[in-house]
Amino acid sequence: MSSGYKPDILWSPHHADRYVICDTELSLYRIGPAGSSETKAGALPLSEETAATLLAINSDTPYMKCVAWYPKQEPECLLAVGQANGRVVLTSLGQSHNSKCKELVGKEFVPKHARQCNTLAWNPVDSNWLAAGLDKHRADFSVLIWDISSKFSPEAVPAEKVRLSGDVDSGLVVTKPLYELGQNDACLSLCWLPRDHQKLLLAGMHRNLAIFDLRNTSQKTFVNTKAIQGVTVDPHFQDRVASFFEGQVAIWDLRKFEKPVFTLTEQPKPLTKVAWCPTRMGLLATLTRDSNIIRLYDMQHTPMPFGDEVEPTIIERSVQPCSESIISSFAWHPSAQNRMVVVSPNRVMNDFTVFERISLAWSSTTALMWACGRHLYECTEDAGQGVAAAEKDIATKMRERAQSHYGHDTVQVWRNHVLAGGDDPQLRSLWYTLHYILHCSAAALQETIGPFKAYSVKVILECTTETRRCWSGSDRQTDVPWYHSEERSLALQLCGWISRGPDIDVEPFLKSLEQEGEWERAAAVALFNLDIRRAIQILNKGASAEKGDLNLNVVAMALSGYTDEKNSLWREMCSSLRLQLKKPYLCVMFAFLTSEPGAYDAVLYESRVAVRDRVAFACMFLNDAQLPRYIDKLANEMKEAGNLEGILLTGLTKDGVDLMESYVDQTGDVQTASFCMLKGSPGEVLKDPRVQCWIENYRNLLDAWRFWHKRAEFDIHRSKLDSSSKPLAQVFVSCNFCGKSISYSCSAMPHQGRGFSQYGVSGSPTKSKVTSCPGCRKPLPRCALCLMNMGTPVSSCPGTGKADEKADLTRDKKLAQFNNWFTWCHNCRHGGHAGHMLSWFRDHSECPVSACTCKCMQLDTTGNLVPSDSV
Amino acid sequence: MDLHILDHRLRVTSISKTGLEQYTHPLIKLIFLRNRTRCKFFSLTETPENYTVVLDEEGFKELQPSEHLQVEGSTWLPLNVVSNGNASSSSQSVGVTKIAKSVIAPLAEQHVSVFMLSTYQTDFILVREKDLSVVVESLVEEFNIFREEGGESVPVHSQDACNGLQRNGREVPHATVHPVLIPENQFCVMSLDPDTLPAIATILIDVLFYSNSPREGASIDQDMECIKFFSFSMIDGYVSLVMDTEAQKQFPTDLLFTSSSGELWRMVRIGGQPLGFDECGIVAQISQPLADSDISAYYISTFSFDHALVPEEDIVSVTEMLQAQRMSS
Repeated sequence: MSSGYKPDILWSPHHADRYVICDTELSLYRIGPAGSSETKAGALPLSEETAATLLAINSDTPYMKCVAWYPKQEPECLLAVGQANGRVVLTSLGQSHNSKCKELVGKEFVPKHARQCNTLAWNPVDSNWLAAGLDKHRADFSVLIWDISSKFSPEAVPAEKVRLSGDVDSGLVVTKPLYELGQNDACLSLCWLPRDHQKLLLAGMHRNLAIFDLRNTSQKTFVNTKAIQGVTVDPHFQDRVASFFEGQVAIWDLRKFEKPVFTLTEQPKPLTKVAWCPTRMGLLATLTRDSNIIRLYDMQHTPMPFGDEVEPTIIERSVQPCSESIISSFAWHPSAQNRMVVVSPNRVMNDFTVFERISLAWSSTTALMWACGRHLYECTEDAGQGVAAAEKDIATKMRERAQSHYGHDTVQVWRNHVLAGGDDPQLRSLWYTLHYILHCSAAALQETIGPFKAYSVKVILECTTETRRCWSGSDRQTDVPWYHSEERSLALQLCGWISRGPDIDVEPFLKSLEQEGEWERAAAVALFNLDIRRAIQILNKGASAEKGDLNLNVVAMALSGYTDEKNSLWREMCSSLRLQLKKPYLCVMFAFLTSEPGAYDAVLYESRVAVRDRVAFACMFLNDAQLPRYIDKLANEMKEAGNLEGILLTGLTKDGVDLMESYVDQTGDVQTASFCMLKGSPGEVLKDPRVQCWIENYRNLLDAWRFWHKRAEFDIHRSKLDSSSKPLAQVFVSCNFCGKSISYSCSAMPHQGRGFSQYGVSGSPTKSKVTSCPGCRKPLPRCALCLMNMGTPVSSCPGTGKADEKADLTRDKKLAQFNNWFTWCHNCRHGGHAGHMLSWFRDHSECPVSACTCKCMQLDTTGNLVPSDSV
Repeated sequence: MDLHILDHRLRVTSISKTGLEQYTHPLIKLIFLRNRTRCKFFSLTETPENYTVVLDEEGFKELQPSEHLQVEGSTWLPLNVVSNGNASSSSQSVGVTKIAKSVIAPLAEQHVSVFMLSTYQTDFILVREKDLSVVVESLVEEFNIFREEGGESVPVHSQDACNGLQRNGREVPHATVHPVLIPENQFCVMSLDPDTLPAIATILIDVLFYSNSPREGASIDQDMECIKFFSFSMIDGYVSLVMDTEAQKQFPTDLLFTSSSGELWRMVRIGGQPLGFDECGIVAQISQPLADSDISAYYISTFSFDHALVPEEDIVSVTEMLQAQRMSS
């Protein structure tokens, strides 16, 4: 549909490399790779890769208004041209020697009354039929359907009558159309309906769209609308039609033709072309006048609603195929994906491919998938053994940890970091902190000192008395202020430096550090406890230990030279050379020794030193004014960084949740977050929506991994720690006769009794009552396989192999076995004991009841899934 | 059948032949410079008496009042019948004939004065705005009536218009039968792609504004046989031309659209004296018998007279028919 003399463009329906530009003449181009031998010197570059070669020009048809390409393979390159005077001429390009269309080329179809031909459409099936939409005439039809194979009309107008119709090339003029439709109206656009090739959709001037059936032209469906231009059927969805009016596109569903399914956002300028992408479902391109932008509307996932309420989602975006120039027209390539050629008013052409939107999705098992066009890419983690644990994706880590029962050790809480792999310092710190916090609070609870406190260094801090200690083991006595109070020692306990009790001896801690070979840290702790001799001893030990670092001796030597003289050479050298020490603990030791009392920033802000050690140091050497400030600052730093070591400062309080939030934001480790918050957290923190969100997400993750047993374990673990999370029974089996639930244990209990929710469990004391409803004593349904009444303990059950194990179980437990549960198909309502059903459906897909053909198992979407975790 | 009341408010004016030069500028602007004006409805008909210009209010602004410009006082609304495709298309008769029975006759009965304007594309029935309620009332049974407002078709119901029938003017027992004039020229009705209008601009200007000057002396004695009649209209972007075969010869054949059969028309001019605008039933008078004998017709009203165009081959029977009518009255 060209307008005026702006060039329009048409792709050949069958030759993917040919297209026609039509303005005042028709020019056939072939598109090929740029620079190839096939393309001649005169080729026009269309893009970086492609160029077009002009093959032929046809200027036989003046006053061209619209062009349509013959849809069949043969004869190729046959075009119908609609002229300003309403004549339709068949013409051809570059096919001069082709005899196949010889008799067709030059054929003219002349309407009774001349007026502009607005649109042409070949019938997609009966390709002899060509529909032409014309302007209005008071006494003529606006749609003429011509049969191109019809011979020139024998009764054709006498010679003197055709004096006004210009050149009479007799024999090639057809004046009698096959069908005439749409009286007293103009036809602005039309298309054949692919669902039924006898049907035609017309858009008329009088603001209506009408569907005509050629088998009965008096009947039609029509709808009043302004959107009457450019009707076009979605090639991928044959009931979907787009039409437009000025700046607005309306999308119609032919099955629900009363009004548009939706309209697209209106453009300020009138539209000139609207085209569905032939290679991609639901992609509509629109072009407005004098614009250099093609707008794309993606309706791929649009459900075609039958109700009025559904408002489909459309993704709108725009592309700019040629940076500056205005686009006159465009045409989608018939087969190359998302490709189009655009043409500017001065016939500059451009080959352009619309880049497909990329959608990507993480799988729950570390893989990343993305789709672009028709390609699907998967990116999975290298499963090779060489991958360092730290580099593994968090999903992999969480899976491994879930399988190693991470988080489930409630007795030795610190051990959880070992279950987590033991290689993450943050987790190590976290679980030790939790261990100490739980330990302290448990002890506090025992001694009934106070209520359970959200133990954290931050909470504890109210410093009181100040005592000073002197250097021990050194001959020099010096006054380093050393602070002490009950709260500070409690904080030291949380840091793990001292153990519970009045004793503030760090010796056990030093021993344990020595055992773990953390010589530098042990030495630093000893030094911070003002025991320089012990520090030197530790360093010596470290140097002499297996795989020990001999340099430690050198450090010990340096240490032994300590002097508190302000201007000594030792001080000067230590304060400058310590920065070259690679080991952070050695570095802070010298920093401590060389700094002024109360000004320990070099120690406090040495980020490589564990938070707990720095906090413990602060608790010893900062005064009551400095300490809270430092703790606050550090806590905020940790919160921002999402560093789990900071849990020591915040505890499992709201602050702790904030910190955990930023940790989860960075790592995605909802597992640790869930377990941690469940572990020590008081009730109100658990109610925090973030915490609930982590827990729910972790459960969903376990489900997604098919770790159903782990999920169950987690739920049990959770319900132990958070009683409010225990789910209420929601499903009951009711008796067929009395309608009451069969699961409540005592018939005397009111119906709401929800003591047990497991089916088949009956608290009835005698065996005879097990198989009958506790309410009305009528028998329960029978199992379709063993024909026993349900609720019966089945000893001969083939699904349960371990008979000896059963013998050990009490009757109640035996009844609660999963194998004895009620199961039934929701479709055919047959069922029986769960164990029987499971073994039946292992080999069958149909219902075990003989006359029933229900494919019960296939109806169960999760029935074929196998849990991927071990029981 | 649908009847559309179009979204144009029209004035009917006449420019005297002597005053033409005062108006050539606005007329040329209205005809050729479409994007300079917002006029959507323009019709210019040259008759021996004067130039009749029918145009919407936007276009009317262009015409400066003067002694040479006569303006009919009312605002006229164009009606258009849309067959809707539902009507069977068995009848081959076209134009006024088709709507004679359904529209023109009922309006004549209700004494509504109509101004007809047939074009290549369709037929417009102009009625006075003040008569609209009567029009709706009398046609609502036959038609689905829509009023077009800003591109939307709004259904009109008779209740909206008025309650009860208001007879328009006095009861006239029988309309006078007007004398008719049947000139010898053959006319053709044509159209044109508006885009090619510039290509024929000079010819059109020549025919419209200068036609009578050179040939005047030569054809004085033929005046009774041939009359000067030329109509140009451009309505909603559609061009329609009515001219005699003499004028048509001046235009290039490949640009004008007409029927492939090349049909020619003869004119029946109605009225010996200027008809005025208040008398009703004039169109009915002639369209009724034509409809009865299934003869197609164009009908173009001008400021002074009405003109019907009938197919060349039917002119004899039409003449006889009209004579018979005169006899009977």
